[in-house]
Amino acid sequence: MSAPSPKTFLRRVAAGLALSATAVAAHAAAAPADIKIGTLYASSGPFAVASQGQYEGLQFWAAAINKEGGVFVKAFNKKIPVKIVAYDDQSSTSTATTLYNQLITQDKVDVLVADFGSVLTSVAVPLAAEHHMLLIDPTGSGANFFTKPTDYLADVSIPSSTVWPIPLANYIIQQKIKRVAILYGANDFDASQATTLKEVLAKAGIKPVYDHGVPTTESNYTVLLHTIAATHPDAVLEFGYAPNDIAFLRGLSQSGLHFPMTFTIFPGQLLGLITKNVGAKALNYTYTYPTPPLVKYEKVTYGMNTADFVKAFQAANKKEPNFLDCAGYNTGLIVQHMLDMSPQFTQKDFHQAIMDMSGKTTTLLGAFDVNANGAQLGQPFPVAQIVPEGAGSKMVVVYPQDKATGKAVYPAPQQ
Amino acid sequence: MELLEYAIIGGILYGIFFSLVGIGLNLIFGVMRIINLAHGQFIVLGAYAAWLVSRHFGFNPLWGVPVSIVAAAVIGFPLYYAVVPRLQRSGDPEMLSFILFFGIGQMLEALTVLGFGADQRSLPSEALGAGNIGVLGQEFPDSWWWAAAFSMAAIVALWLYFTRTKLGYATRAIMASRDEALATGISVNKVSALAFVAGLALAGIAGVFLPYLLGSVSPDLGDGLTTTSFAIVIIGSLGNPLGTVIGGLVFGLGTMLMQTYYSSWSNLVPYVLLLVIVLIRPTGLLGKAVRSV
Repeated sequence: MSAPSPKTFLRRVAAGLALSATAVAAHAAAAPADIKIGTLYASSGPFAVASQGQYEGLQFWAAAINKEGGVFVKAFNKKIPVKIVAYDDQSSTSTATTLYNQLITQDKVDVLVADFGSVLTSVAVPLAAEHHMLLIDPTGSGANFFTKPTDYLADVSIPSSTVWPIPLANYIIQQKIKRVAILYGANDFDASQATTLKEVLAKAGIKPVYDHGVPTTESNYTVLLHTIAATHPDAVLEFGYAPNDIAFLRGLSQSGLHFPMTFTIFPGQLLGLITKNVGAKALNYTYTYPTPPLVKYEKVTYGMNTADFVKAFQAANKKEPNFLDCAGYNTGLIVQHMLDMSPQFTQKDFHQAIMDMSGKTTTLLGAFDVNANGAQLGQPFPVAQIVPEGAGSKMVVVYPQDKATGKAVYPAPQQ
Repeated sequence: MELLEYAIIGGILYGIFFSLVGIGLNLIFGVMRIINLAHGQFIVLGAYAAWLVSRHFGFNPLWGVPVSIVAAAVIGFPLYYAVVPRLQRSGDPEMLSFILFFGIGQMLEALTVLGFGADQRSLPSEALGAGNIGVLGQEFPDSWWWAAAFSMAAIVALWLYFTRTKLGYATRAIMASRDEALATGISVNKVSALAFVAGLALAGIAGVFLPYLLGSVSPDLGDGLTTTSFAIVIIGSLGNPLGTVIGGLVFGLGTMLMQTYYSSWSNLVPYVLLLVIVLIRPTGLLGKAVRSV
């Protein structure tokens, strides 16, 4: 092949420069005035407390990043302010469906973030896939979302519910507890945890002595507790949402019944709410999954660590953050990292950026590790017990061994 | 066998309480032929009254009972005169009341969220006794007995009102035929207004015990309580307040038996019972009694 003549070479260089200039101009023209992040929150209904916490965390992140001039968007090579477009779904899946649709088709948001929990996320998953949008899923951890590879879903701030109970099951096996009672809400979030737990226990030859679901709206546990007590369990594990946990723990404290081990989920996420309703004494010796900020991650690779976030949130919002505040803030961080890594401003590139940061990023919630199905496999929850300390109580991590801050009090003493 | 006994006694106590939950709705329908779809929200307001009384002012939550009665009068009389006579002059009061009270219910829920927040609130366990009381060897929390006792007292008071007072006779006359009651000189509006306030007061009293039976109260509970009340009322007999007692007992027993033996399906109980009763006996279990009153 002969070398091009100087004239041809100059022509090619000129053409190349012209093309590059056009591309840069096109990029600059396409850069939006702000990055629209569409999300929903619930001001009322059973998910309101958790949803509002998550939303406050996201707002906190947006305010902080906008103070710095906005989020760096690699696709446009500049900082752009973020704008949160949010609607109130009132904890209703039917309202949420309409509003997710509105965010996608009318508001044409750039980034779609789901509301709290599996129930309100469930309606967003198919909608996002239908519109070829990546759904940033902060706390929807139901196993059914993550059954096949997808480019349109990323669980960012909570482990998939299928992995939650693995440390709990291992702890039960380690403690040589043989008689286990499992009571779970008949929804994907709780039922998938019960399923995983039973699978792990079965491998150790443990078959639950009581294993029943209850409606998600269940609020009276007195007769259920009596039925459970008739099976003489050594451990009673209740998987429910916060209102279920409150009703369960109050029912237990009023019933006069006592079990050597009692586990519920939400004291580890919404300790203030549960303590306010159940009372500190009734919570003593209860086991739970402790979550940030109750457990802290010091070494992070992106954003503030847990302790710094707690200080900053307290200063800005004049209150202690809970796990959902951390989850909302973490969601913002992941969106931020996604935008500063995506070479193009497309949903496909956003997804690729999430996959690229997976396994290499640690935030205030721990290691970020999303698989091809969109499930979060990092950010593991240990097992902790609430034990009395002076006039109050403290959370002691009892499993796994490398994270333990104390030994469990088992069997729990009668108070 | 022990589980069955526990479920039956628990079902009776729970059912008596739910008779009180539903009876106000039935009283208002029986007298005015309007469906108070805000009934559940009034129950929730009763629960918040007890919460205020106990957590804010430091009194026993039972003081929520007189507070609910006073609040029912303060809210009920103006509300009655503002909407009910107009509804009854319309061509289709039942359907219009359905829409109007649905709106009132949503407003009350929104106001409750604004006033108290969306989170769960509970009442101090020890206020009604932190122990258990046993019958036939089956123990239930003290608060269940208090709830059942107050419910029984309220139902007996309503029965005495119907059967021993002139106003009660007038109320029953209006329930049998509004036009004939008017023709006999009964002050239908005054008696109806009183029944309306009584219906709200009964809802408020039920609300005082709600956080003990359901663990906590939050503003969103209203719609579910209205639906459950509606099922209980229809099971007993729509328009016959005392039929609600039967509806409540059937609901309580059904729910507790289902919780004991097949817990996943326990929330279907009121609706399955409703369906069965409507198919077999469309007038409700005490439907005949309505006609004989």
